[in-house]
Amino acid sequence: MRGLILAVPNKGRLRGPTMELLERANIRPLDDDRIYLSNTTLEGVQLLSIRAADIPIYVYYGIADLGITGKDVVAESGLEVYELADTGFGDCNLVVAVKSDSKYWDPSVLPQGTKVATEFPNLTKQFFNDLGIQVEIITLRGAVEIAPILGLADCVVDLSSTGRTLERNGLRAIGTILRSTAKLICNKVAYKTRHEQIKMLENLLVRNK
Amino acid sequence: MLASRACSGGRFFYIENCIRFLSPKALPQREFWQAGAELVGEGGVEADGEVIALALECLERAGLAGAKVDLGSIPVFRKTVEQFKITNYEGLRRAVSTKSIGDLRGIATEERAMEVLAYMMEERGGPDLLAKLTEMGVRGLEEDMRYFEELFDVLKSYGYASNVRIDLSTLREMKYYNGIVFEIFLEGIGLPIGGGGRYDAMMKEFGLDVSAAGFAVSVDLLVKAAEGISYGRSPPLQIYYAEGYRERAIGLARRLRGKGMSCTVSRYRGEREGILVDRTIIDLRSGKVLEGQL
Repeated sequence: MRGLILAVPNKGRLRGPTMELLERANIRPLDDDRIYLSNTTLEGVQLLSIRAADIPIYVYYGIADLGITGKDVVAESGLEVYELADTGFGDCNLVVAVKSDSKYWDPSVLPQGTKVATEFPNLTKQFFNDLGIQVEIITLRGAVEIAPILGLADCVVDLSSTGRTLERNGLRAIGTILRSTAKLICNKVAYKTRHEQIKMLENLLVRNK
Repeated sequence: MLASRACSGGRFFYIENCIRFLSPKALPQREFWQAGAELVGEGGVEADGEVIALALECLERAGLAGAKVDLGSIPVFRKTVEQFKITNYEGLRRAVSTKSIGDLRGIATEERAMEVLAYMMEERGGPDLLAKLTEMGVRGLEEDMRYFEELFDVLKSYGYASNVRIDLSTLREMKYYNGIVFEIFLEGIGLPIGGGGRYDAMMKEFGLDVSAAGFAVSVDLLVKAAEGISYGRSPPLQIYYAEGYRERAIGLARRLRGKGMSCTVSRYRGEREGILVDRTIIDLRSGKVLEGQL
């Protein structure tokens, strides 16, 4: 039987705190960080370093047994994986934001056909569908905040932890879609077939948080 | 299809291509192969046990012994939801089936509801799980507990009780299930290989007041799981013939096929594997004469 594979973000805001969490559990990669799949100081546990947004996919298909990634990307993927525990870091909100001088004060009053720039098209669509507002979604891969000022979109759906980036780009949050933190997620079948190993690793990671 | 043939009940099976709308997330394909069986016209614990046992036996016959089944119960889930007056049924279903305590917090506000639902998500085991839930204050589970005890008895008769466990967070996505539901999985295959449950209510939609339960397995996952199983089948015997001996070679192939052996026949072009039909019959690899042995 192969060891457990734990998928972790290879960069971005969750990388640092994730590696600290592993460090506290005495799990260190043995290879340098350009190696995607690395053995660790904990026998039987390998680290898979990939993009945070891809982690739910690897875990859903059981390529990785466990993963640490944001609730935001898990929800956006729409894939069914177990959320075993909250890691307590990576706190942020997925918010709807408009230009500071906009007359709109709440997402529910945005007009039909509003153009929304976002990295989260699925959650955005679902949110506005529930409000009964048809929006035009413009999917971007980053620097979403700039879109309204340049006239690409009327508003954005983006992550915000302090609100400062929004403010600096002349935006104001008018509603929250989701509150996100980093979660320890798990493949559904692995949870059942390798329960003891997974519980052991979960305790090691979460107890030490 | 089922409804048109199932007026008086019966046992049905299919291996068909299914077409379903799947939102393009990780599984963009909309057509897939599924194999399944349905038991129509019989309700109760015996029928549920038969369906689960048949699913496990089919997998076993396909060379995939040791599959596990997790059982859930829609009635138990509903009773819990109703007792704690939780209105966001779909949100709760999703939170429980992903074992997400975080999402649960936003849906179940009462402390006791949290405790009960967290227990349903965490624990896996036998019918005593329901006794524990009763102890925790969930009402009206006596019948369900008797039912599960009996189901395990039925499964024991089939020899599969040890493959099956209760995990009350097992809630299938299809909304037509109204009794037990289950998921089947195999070590090393990341997605449940199949599942099923009781769906009496759906038959009513077709104007049939009959009980029904069934299961389906994914043919794609089955194939993936079966990779590397040889099924004891050897490659066909290659029979070659020298100039003028075609008829004799074909005759030999016929005789061997009649005995259940598979073989191919072709003209000899210097191959070193298989057998050569000439004035005599020769094993090409060893050079031994086989005349009279075949």
